[in-house]
Amino acid sequence: MMDPSGINNFEDQWKKALDEASETPPPSVWAGIEARLDRDDDDDIIPLWWRSPKLWYAAASIAALLLVGGGLWYSNRTEVSDKIAVEMAAKEPSSTTGKNEIQKEMSGQTDKKPENAQQIASSHSENGKIGKTSDSNTSAENPEQKYLENSVSSSSERISETPIGSGKQLADGKNNQYFTKNESAKVKKSLLPENKTVDSEELVLPARMHFNVNEAAVAISEERKIQVDFLTPNQFADLDVYMQKRYVFYKADQKAEEPLPAPKKHTEYYAAVGLMPATFNPDVKIKDAPMAFSQMAASRQKATTGTSEAGNSYAIQTQGGMRLSKHWSMEMGINYLKGNSRYEGGGYLLDATSSASANVLQSALNGISTSQDYTTSKNQPLEAANAFYIDVNKKVNNDYQYLQLPVQAGFTLNPDKKLSYSLLGGMMANFFLNNQLESASGQTITTTAEDGVYRSMNWAATTGLRLNYRLSSKWKANLTGSYQKAVSSGFKANQSLESHPYLYGVSWGFRYSF
Amino acid sequence: MIFNEQELVNGCKQRNRFSQKQLYDVFGGKLFAICMRYTKNRSDAEDVLQDAFIKIYENISSFRNDSPLEYWLKSIVVNTALNHLRQQKYLKDLDDIEVYENGIADREITLGDFQMQQLMGFIQELPPGCQVIFNLYAIEGYQHNEIAQKLGISEGTSKSQYSRARGILQQKLNREKRFDDGSVRNKQL
Repeated sequence: MMDPSGINNFEDQWKKALDEASETPPPSVWAGIEARLDRDDDDDIIPLWWRSPKLWYAAASIAALLLVGGGLWYSNRTEVSDKIAVEMAAKEPSSTTGKNEIQKEMSGQTDKKPENAQQIASSHSENGKIGKTSDSNTSAENPEQKYLENSVSSSSERISETPIGSGKQLADGKNNQYFTKNESAKVKKSLLPENKTVDSEELVLPARMHFNVNEAAVAISEERKIQVDFLTPNQFADLDVYMQKRYVFYKADQKAEEPLPAPKKHTEYYAAVGLMPATFNPDVKIKDAPMAFSQMAASRQKATTGTSEAGNSYAIQTQGGMRLSKHWSMEMGINYLKGNSRYEGGGYLLDATSSASANVLQSALNGISTSQDYTTSKNQPLEAANAFYIDVNKKVNNDYQYLQLPVQAGFTLNPDKKLSYSLLGGMMANFFLNNQLESASGQTITTTAEDGVYRSMNWAATTGLRLNYRLSSKWKANLTGSYQKAVSSGFKANQSLESHPYLYGVSWGFRYSF
Repeated sequence: MIFNEQELVNGCKQRNRFSQKQLYDVFGGKLFAICMRYTKNRSDAEDVLQDAFIKIYENISSFRNDSPLEYWLKSIVVNTALNHLRQQKYLKDLDDIEVYENGIADREITLGDFQMQQLMGFIQELPPGCQVIFNLYAIEGYQHNEIAQKLGISEGTSKSQYSRARGILQQKLNREKRFDDGSVRNKQL
C-alpha cells in the first residue's frame, strides 16, 4: 500500500537502493590494513614499556612499599629494644632503693621550694638541664643538697643528651624521675583523663614520679606500638596492584602461526570376512544348437535353446583393504563362489538303442570341448541318427564354482561416524573351478578348467553399497549389497555358447582394523 | 562465495591472516559502500574502511553469535565513520535549521532509474550533517531520538537536518528529470 505521505516510500527506495550496495575497494586498502596488522603484531613482540604509565605506577608503588616497609622494619627494631628496656626496668624495682633517700631529700627540698621545682620543670623543657635552674645558695648551704644537685645535674644532662626513645635510661632508677616536660606530658596524657590539666607539681614529685615511671615507660611503649600498628601495612593481597598487564615476549598470534597439528593419518589396514547369500545366474545362451537339436528344431519349427534361471547361491568372502584417505579405500579379496542355477528348455535327445539321453546344454558342452577325456568319459555325445528328440522342458541343475579375486575401490561417506556408507566399484577375476551340470539322465557332469570348455579366468565388473556399523574402534559390522556381471564370456569358444554370469548378493561380515 | 561464517570468525579470532583476508573479501565491498555514503570522497572512505577493519580484527573476539555478523560489521563501520567525521569537525555545530523548502511537491520518484554511483554522489554532495543524519535515518533505520543520542544533538536538530537532506535530494532527483512514470526526460538525452 502506498504511503500517502510519500515519506516511507522515499526512505524505502533509498534503503533498497543503497542498503545492499557494494563497491570494490582498491587493493591499496587491504595492503594498508595488512601493514597495520603486521605493525600491531610487531608491537606485541617488543613492548615499549617506558611509554606505559601503568608500569610507572607500578614502579612508584613498589618504591613506596619499599620505603614504608623499610621504615616499619626499622621502627620494629626500635620497639623491640624499648620492650627489652621496659622488661629490664621491671626486673630491677629495688635498684632505686638506694636512691630513695636522695629522692626523699629531693622531695623534701622540692616541698620546701616548690618554686624551684617549678623552675626545674620549666627550665628542663627549655634547655634540658635541671642543674642550671637549681638555686646555687641552697646547694651551697647543704652539701647533700649539692651532691644531689650535682647528681641531678649530671643525670639530667645525660637525659637531655640522650634521645627520648632510649628505654634503658627511661627505666633506670637513677634517671627515671627526670623526664623532659614533653615526656612527662606524654606520660600524664596517657595515664590521666584527657581533660585533666597537667599539674607541674606532679611532674617533679619524685615519689609519685617513681611510682609512675614504669607505667609511663610501658605507656610510651604502648603508644608507640599503637603508632606502629597504625603504620602496619595492609596485607599484600589488599593492596592495589597497578601492574595488571603482562607483557609476553612472544608474538601474540604465535599460536595461530604454530604449525598445525599433523592431519589425522587416515591410512588404515583392515581385514574382513563375510558370507554372501546371492542369486547367481550364469546366463548361458546357446547360439548355435548342436546338429541333432538344430535338425529337430528345423523340422518342428521350434527353438531348441533354453534359458538359465538364477538359483540360491552363496559366497564366502575374505578381504584385505587399505584406507587411503579419509574417504577412499582400496580392497582386495579372495572369495569362493558357489553359484547355483538351473537350465530349462531345449528338450533332450534319447538314444533308442542305448537309452542314453542328453539335453541341449549337455550336447552343446560336448561339442565345444577340446578335451578327449571329457568327451569320452564325462560327457559322451549321442549319435544323432539313433536318437530322437523329446520336447520336454526339463530343468536341470547347472552349478558353478569360482574362485574370485576382487579388486575394488571404495568411497566412504561419514567415515568417522558410527554408521558409514561405502560405495564400491571394481573388477573381479573369476577363476573357474568347475561346473556341475545335471544330465538328462540325472547324472552330474562335472566340467573342470582342464576340459577346455570354460575359460579358466574371466573378468567381471562389480559394484555395491556397503553399510559399515562401527562396533568398536577395531571392529565393524558390514552389510554389503553387491552386483557382479561378467564382462567376457565364460566359455572359451564363443561360436555356439555364451555365458555372462551375473550375481546379486547381500554380504554379511565383520571387519577388523589394524 | 561459499564460506562458513563461524569458521571465518574463529579464524579471525586466532588472527589467521587468511581468514582476515577472506572476511575482507566477503564483506569489504558492502562496507566500502557504507564508507562512501558517510564520507565526502573516495580517499576518506578508504581511510574509514581501513580503520574499521582494524577495529573489526581487534575486537572480533567480542563478537557473539547472537546477531548476524554482517550487522555487527556494519555497526562498526558506521561508528568508525562517525568518529572520522567528528575528527574532521564535520559534525561540529550541528544546529537546528529551518526546513529547507525547495518548492517542489513530494512526488514518487523511482530510484531504479539511477545508477548506484549516481545516488551515492547525491548523498556525498549533501552538507555533512545532513549526509550523516540522512544515512542514519533513511538507510540504517535509526530513529531520530537514537540519532540525537548518538550524535549528541537534539532530536529536533536531527529532524530538521533530515528534512533538509530530503529536500536537497528531491531537488537533485527532480533536476535529473526522472520521475516515477519511468520516463527519462534528462536534458542530456
